[in-house]
Amino acid sequence: MADMSAYEEFVAALEALDDEMRFEYIIDLAKEARKDPFPESAKDDRHLMHGCMSKVWIIHEERDGRHYFHGHSDALIVEGLVHMMTRSFSGLTTEEMANISLDHVRRLNLGALTTQRQVGMMAMLKHMQRLSGAKRAAANV
Amino acid sequence: MTEMARRDAATNLPPFDVAALRAEFPILSRTVNGKPLVFLDSGASAQKPRAVIDGMAEMMRTRYANVHRGVHTLSQEATDDFERARSKIARFLNAAHEDEIVITRSVTEAINLVAHAYGRANFGPGDEILVSEMEHHANIVPWQLVADQVGAKVRPIPITDAGELRLDALAAMLGPQTRMVAVTHVSNVLGTVNPVAEVVRLAHHHGVPVLLDGAQAAVHGPVDVQALDVDFYGFTGHKLYGPTGIGVLYGKQALLDLMPPWQGGGDMIDRVSFDGTTFKAPPHRFEAGTPPIVEAVGLGIAIDFVGRIGWDAIAAHEQSLLQAATERLSGIDGLRILGTAAEKAAIVSFVVEGVHSMDLAMLLDRAGVAVRVGHHCAEPLMRRLGVDSTLRASFAAYNTLDEVGVLADAVTRAVERLR
Repeated sequence: MADMSAYEEFVAALEALDDEMRFEYIIDLAKEARKDPFPESAKDDRHLMHGCMSKVWIIHEERDGRHYFHGHSDALIVEGLVHMMTRSFSGLTTEEMANISLDHVRRLNLGALTTQRQVGMMAMLKHMQRLSGAKRAAANV
Repeated sequence: MTEMARRDAATNLPPFDVAALRAEFPILSRTVNGKPLVFLDSGASAQKPRAVIDGMAEMMRTRYANVHRGVHTLSQEATDDFERARSKIARFLNAAHEDEIVITRSVTEAINLVAHAYGRANFGPGDEILVSEMEHHANIVPWQLVADQVGAKVRPIPITDAGELRLDALAAMLGPQTRMVAVTHVSNVLGTVNPVAEVVRLAHHHGVPVLLDGAQAAVHGPVDVQALDVDFYGFTGHKLYGPTGIGVLYGKQALLDLMPPWQGGGDMIDRVSFDGTTFKAPPHRFEAGTPPIVEAVGLGIAIDFVGRIGWDAIAAHEQSLLQAATERLSGIDGLRILGTAAEKAAIVSFVVEGVHSMDLAMLLDRAGVAVRVGHHCAEPLMRRLGVDSTLRASFAAYNTLDEVGVLADAVTRAVERLR
């Protein structure tokens, strides 16, 4: 059974906030995430996610058949979104990863952040699915 | 009658009343994210006055049909309107003749037209096309495409740290191998107003034609192609309070006459047969297919609109906005303005130390302030400046000093939140 507790926490936290507070929440999340620095050596082309207005790097690891992600962006708000995505969908199997869809992103209640960044969030999800080999769903998204 | 009084009599508008001008732009009264819209992205595309919106709708309601070759009344009326727009554009640029005005779909298309029609006929191996380091991609890539095909080379004219074109470098680069100088009149990132008359003089001294990208220039002040003696000049409708989908290429008649067509299709031919096709004279030779009819009429209305306000009034107002924005933004801790040329149009690009431009732009949007963030289609310039992206506030005649204040306050607050 997929452990989606981190994801559910984000859903619950964001649901209670208005748009202005959602921005504060994401910014705080990013500032917190930056206390665990992303390795400088991984800020390379191999880990770079292409097609973003800001730079996004994602490290993927597979342990015991489960996928773990660590991400970083040079932009703070995007960093918060990356952190939310990588925290939400780490620890899943390939099959579970394949079942994550646009609906999961919608359920995060990102409000105004969604309208601005939905394409970016979807690209991020697809990128994570490609890294984890969950191509079937990536194609269906 | 004084100049001011003459203008007032001609316009029926007070000297310059920004509130009255704003009332002409319906979109400016809307809110964004619960805040009054502060639109500082006119450099990307300006908002449209009621005259343009209504005028275009009116044409489609009452006088619309395809232009040229039509015998029926509607087609003749639409053709009259379309060709009248061409005449207005010719007067707007002070072209010697309206046949020197080619209607395109954008400045990008205008530059591509010259690059392909003029370039393929005149560029060869070892030849050089000089552009500047501050060019928009639209004035780099079309030349590269043609250069690659014919074995020519595109070379950048360097700029100073302040963002000014280095005329000394241009003079040194010009030579028998130079076939074209293509530079922007006003930089879309830095706001620099280039000394284009001097560029033309230097290039002509070597017998080299000059193309000016006027996308950002034709919206801030008058352009006189005859006084500049420029060979090609491109500008666009949508930055001049007109519609999208229409651009203009001015070309000296002698040059246009010698240029082969670029795109083929209807409306540009004299006779067509499978043994060979002959082409119309310019400008129609370069207008294959149905042109942007309503858009041309819309641009004509926009030109009239700008004429009613008056360039002197627009320039004075925009310079006051530029000065205020430069002063207010410079006072923000860690903020650096890119582009400090002596002559600037009302465009301010900046970065803030320790803050990503994207974050800043997102928070400004929350405050109702629309600015542009990114490389502004000028990646070589970004590399020259040593940045990945900038924030750009670009002003139009309808912006106010109060809005400059809103921008500066919103940047200050956003920086505090992000640090």
